[in-house]
Amino acid sequence: MIAAVIVVPAVQLARASLGQYSITGLYQGAVGARNYVRLVQQEALPAVVANTVVWVVTVVGVTLLLSLGLAQFLAKEFPGRALVRWALIVPWAASLIMTSKLFVWIYDYYFGILNHALLSLGVLDRPVDWLGDDRTVMGAMIAVGVFVSLPFTTYVLLAGLQSIPADVYEAARVDGASPWRVYRSVTVPLLRPALLVATALNIIYVFNSFPIVWTLNDRNPGFGHDTMITYMYKIAFKSALRDVGLAAALGVVNVLVTLAAVLVYLRAVRWREQDA
Amino acid sequence: MRRLLERPVLAALVFALFAACGRGDSGGPAAIKVVIAEYSKDHTGPFWRGLAEQYTKQSKVKVDLQVVDWNSIDQQVSTMIQNNQPPDVLNLNSFSSYAKDGLLYAADEVLSPKTRDDFLEAFARGGTYRGTLYGVPILSSARAFFYNKALFARAGIEAPPKTWDEFVQDARQLQALGGGIIGYALPLGPEEAQAEWSIWMWNNGGDWKSGERWTINSDRNVQTLTFLADLANRHRVTQVNPGKTNRTDGAFQLFKDGKVGMVMGFSPLARQLDAEGKVQYGVATMPTNVGAPVTLGVEDYLMAFKKKGNREAVKGFLDLYYEPANITRWIAAEGFLPVTKSGLTQMSADGKLKPYLDALPNAKLVPTTDPAWDKVKLDVQQTLGLAVQPGGKPREVLDRLQKNATAAEGGR
Repeated sequence: MIAAVIVVPAVQLARASLGQYSITGLYQGAVGARNYVRLVQQEALPAVVANTVVWVVTVVGVTLLLSLGLAQFLAKEFPGRALVRWALIVPWAASLIMTSKLFVWIYDYYFGILNHALLSLGVLDRPVDWLGDDRTVMGAMIAVGVFVSLPFTTYVLLAGLQSIPADVYEAARVDGASPWRVYRSVTVPLLRPALLVATALNIIYVFNSFPIVWTLNDRNPGFGHDTMITYMYKIAFKSALRDVGLAAALGVVNVLVTLAAVLVYLRAVRWREQDA
Repeated sequence: MRRLLERPVLAALVFALFAACGRGDSGGPAAIKVVIAEYSKDHTGPFWRGLAEQYTKQSKVKVDLQVVDWNSIDQQVSTMIQNNQPPDVLNLNSFSSYAKDGLLYAADEVLSPKTRDDFLEAFARGGTYRGTLYGVPILSSARAFFYNKALFARAGIEAPPKTWDEFVQDARQLQALGGGIIGYALPLGPEEAQAEWSIWMWNNGGDWKSGERWTINSDRNVQTLTFLADLANRHRVTQVNPGKTNRTDGAFQLFKDGKVGMVMGFSPLARQLDAEGKVQYGVATMPTNVGAPVTLGVEDYLMAFKKKGNREAVKGFLDLYYEPANITRWIAAEGFLPVTKSGLTQMSADGKLKPYLDALPNAKLVPTTDPAWDKVKLDVQQTLGLAVQPGGKPREVLDRLQKNATAAEGGR
């Protein structure tokens, strides 16, 4: 099973990255590492890499911060809690493509409710083309990325919070610790395993996220707002390159980058743990 | 987050792995794979399913029919070919790269002479690679100039513009109506920039190629692109960010909503407008800056892939599609235009189609017969819009397109 689902495609991808393909997809022979050399020479690559870093770091960072707050909130007893907990699952349950299309309409310059709302509230004095203006596209995509990442992250953290035994808090209160002090010295350290899982998985999910960036950015020519995932797709099918071999080379790089990012993160965290 | 549709290449590879299956080929295949692009949800699938049934009944050959949406058809076809599982019959908007790679039957091998002789000459020419017909015309469409009659009346414009000067004047008058009214909706985003651009280019006397040479950065074309940039940035008579507006969900949407005075449309847009009944529109010829108006004709193709022993089966299928009753029924249902002489005669009866059918003889096609076009088109889609954004540089953009086109020509 693992062999069929993971190993075979990985080998196929690696092999494709060493080959030359015609625009039709016809295999024309092996070219060694030439696709990798050409990949590094692509003019758009530095901007795409920078976009990817901004996209992953911001979405994961903001998601974690908001989820910490949300999880804390949902861990408390209050009327209607079950309802709120259910509501939070909705963005998770909806298809990413549908969610992205919905946001395309929300952000629309002429018809979107975002401009409508901000104009009526007097926050803006003229509408903004959220998905067409180079200054706002990335932010608009990040907001959607955070929105769809919140449910999963919040639930992981909520599970973590609820696994902290009540008597630990009891002991801290008896010792006269302030709420902030309790949070920092009790909650955060005990939440560490949940935070680790949430961060590592989010790095992988967000890096690999295709539908949001693809759908919200589909009106913009060029590669100025692409991540390494959408760039790979454009190399293969939607740009003058139309080159499956070159795209496969980037695909291999993408897999390695994801693995490396997670390893580096886990190492950094463990290192700090030992240091403390 | 869920991981739907991510890593498409990888997913495609996995899919191909499981999709692989053998086929006996003694005395013809037991089944043929037919891949058709989805022109509309309502008509494409039902028509081709019906045709496949009819074909299986008369030939005993099964049809593995795949109706694929336009967004993913390039990817799916590429994957099939990478895995050495090409379709037997494929419907697409390009063909010459496949002919160049030696994957296709010449049309004469898979069409009866009667079918072959029924094609309108211009469309047969548009499917020819190095003197041989490979891309068999499946349907066509022609663009026309759409204007909102109510807005024209409000702006005091009596007739649609015939020249570019009149066009600019009218656009300014429409824009001056205020209240968010837009003079002209200009879609130069990645979806179909090459189509919008072709129309303006040709109506200023420019072209993609002159003989065998690319002429994308000719002075005329620079002038045309500068004109379009001026519409956006100097006259300010377009919607916001025209270089980042697509056709279907951008320009057409605005026109259907009654916000736009003028747009380049085609017959399927007319059908939608008729169905919604919200906008009173007129259809006219393109405004021109030199000589007679030119419109863009678009031709899509059917092609037959060379596979051992499939020739007779494919021939039977194509001849069935090109029976006048079949092809015309489908083209009419989809709202497109004919590619055959018999179809043209039949469809002329429909008064609504008159403006497009009249335009058809003067329609020009983009150079799909050149395999380099398949890359040039994508290059145009990803760059042209940048030239009409504030601070865009029309000449630099066209110079670069020209350079890449010339390189693609000599390339693989």
